[in-house]
Amino acid sequence: THYRLGKNLPFSGILFRNSRSALMDQAIAVIPRTTPLMMAVLAFQFAGCEYQPPAGDQTCFGYLTTPRTQFRPQCPLRPLQHHLSPYQQPHSCRSQSTSAGDTFPPLDADESTELSQRDDDVSIPPEALPSPPPSAALKSAKLAALHARLSLPPRLPIQTLARALVHESADPDPNFNNTSLAILGSNLLGLYTSEYLLCNYPRLPISVLFAAQSAYVGTKALALMAKEWGIESVAEPGGEVDPGLLQYRRLAAGAAWGEFAPRGTGRPNEQKGWRRGITSKIVYDDQFGDMRMTTPEPSQPVPLDIAAESFVRALMGATYLHCGRATTKRFFASHWLSRTLDLSKMFEFRTPTVDLSKLCAREGFEPPVARLISETGRASRHPVFVVGVYSGRDKLGEGAGGSLDEARVRAAVMALKSWYLYKPLDVTLPSDAEGMEPTKWKPNLVDIGEVIV
Amino acid sequence: MSALPLTRPMRPLSTKSASLFLPHLTTRHASSTRRHKKLNIIPPAPSYNLSATPNSTTHSRSAKPSPRAPSATHIIFNPPSAAPSPTITPPKFLPASDPRRALYSSFTAASTRSALQSRTPLTAATGTSLASQSLLPARPSANLPPPVRGSDTYEKKYHLTDADIAEIRKLRTEDPYTWTRWRLAEKFGCSQFFVSLVVKAPEKAAEVEASHQAARDRWGNRKRMADEDRKRRMASWGR
Repeated sequence: THYRLGKNLPFSGILFRNSRSALMDQAIAVIPRTTPLMMAVLAFQFAGCEYQPPAGDQTCFGYLTTPRTQFRPQCPLRPLQHHLSPYQQPHSCRSQSTSAGDTFPPLDADESTELSQRDDDVSIPPEALPSPPPSAALKSAKLAALHARLSLPPRLPIQTLARALVHESADPDPNFNNTSLAILGSNLLGLYTSEYLLCNYPRLPISVLFAAQSAYVGTKALALMAKEWGIESVAEPGGEVDPGLLQYRRLAAGAAWGEFAPRGTGRPNEQKGWRRGITSKIVYDDQFGDMRMTTPEPSQPVPLDIAAESFVRALMGATYLHCGRATTKRFFASHWLSRTLDLSKMFEFRTPTVDLSKLCAREGFEPPVARLISETGRASRHPVFVVGVYSGRDKLGEGAGGSLDEARVRAAVMALKSWYLYKPLDVTLPSDAEGMEPTKWKPNLVDIGEVIV
Repeated sequence: MSALPLTRPMRPLSTKSASLFLPHLTTRHASSTRRHKKLNIIPPAPSYNLSATPNSTTHSRSAKPSPRAPSATHIIFNPPSAAPSPTITPPKFLPASDPRRALYSSFTAASTRSALQSRTPLTAATGTSLASQSLLPARPSANLPPPVRGSDTYEKKYHLTDADIAEIRKLRTEDPYTWTRWRLAEKFGCSQFFVSLVVKAPEKAAEVEASHQAARDRWGNRKRMADEDRKRRMASWGR
């Protein structure tokens, strides 16, 4: 067992995700500081709790019917989705409407026969459906309890919450599963997290940024969050089960899931032996610096993590669609940014002293000198040295250790961390500036980047 | 175990011949115990100084305040020492536009001056970070602490010419066993690292590496584990 530590490595810097298990990353990120949960389920949430949306609702869900409008609002893309749907047979006899079989006339004549066929789901037994019908959502105590427990705004209908719980492995029909909502929610989560990290810690190295992003909104973090929210899953999905359960087709124990894992480097010039560098991760990989997985078939059984993650993302997307940006940001702040993530624990420097010298040379500081501030027990079994790194007369960092070398290296690490973890005083997030007066916008600090050795 | 106080020394047997058969134990003497106890007595933190800032109303009402109860109404601030936090950016690392630059420098100057004048350490003042020293701060004109290694005035010389570098390459390539890095560095007044940058001897490096590996292969379990532990500890310095 021969190591080459530190020197002559083709790169240096931070290898957090490579060096520790991903589970530990999440464990750091999930210590919650949540608001007290609302545990009461009030009586009016059961009796006549149909959602009454405003007249001009722009969301294209079929069940958003209002008594005031004469016609049922129809999504203009609906015929198109019908042609794209790979799941033809049940689609023609299911409806997204909660008040199925109502008396509203269809929008245009050529769709009338199709619509009348679709709305005719009274005769279908629920066991024949792949997922619970939207009308069942109103009768589910679990859904009402979840809605209240998460303090979701009343503008978010129970039916959308039920749809967010249907993973595509349970119901491949994109009109009834949460895939579209999850894509929107994933993009929103990625945007809000990365802008928070980048604006508040402008000097963060890209690998730490990837790890922090994954710790906030990665698969394991989201799955743990769903568990904390009290999401339970079905044993087997179907139309007759409670819609308050997470509907997905579960992967059998011991079954292979790795066939969808990416192979090779995922880069175009793989035959030339190109490696996956940090920079190419920004271009080719996903928001966590991981390689993109090949998309499995819609009805492929999945692990619980994947289904739970899709629920949390879909809930984020649904909140955005129904309640708008301000509520979504508040939801994000209370459930994600309230979690403690110690960024200073995510660094791992291989050659900290060299990095610090390069940093000082780049920034025009005097070269760093390690100085012995205090010591005790030099001749004993357990000495302690306190060493500070100085640039000129200014102290950059301080470290304590059992040997002079250890204290010197730790002081350099502390100096590098305090450089990378710089936090500006006043930060305006770009997403907060939407709708703000342009004169009030204050540009954020953009750093020139980490030290390359 | 026994009713004897622990401070009582273990008395050896009186006969010299009997003491030969006893194990050689260290004994604790009353004198050393008292000396060490006295060393542990630390003067209280300045904010715990109860008589310095008496609460006049409390004193006037109570006839005789208890000697143990704090009579002052201020908060006793005596935090344990802590390692500096990396979230506090040193002033040199702050961008020029950051208002904390001016705030830090004025605060440091004022606090150092007041601490030196009143001869109380910075930890006594409220609002200081937990990492501030419990000793008096150094005077601004004082010398910096001594460097850990090397001297203060280390300057790179850049004295080798192209001819010197060619000479280094020639010597090292011809006979790497005679002209080792150490010997070349001594001859040309540069560092061994610089020699390795200028010219490499891969055959010799492989040979040396093989001999080291052979030596490592002869290690037993204990030595191997100690080596791995040491390397693991060293890797943790960078975290």
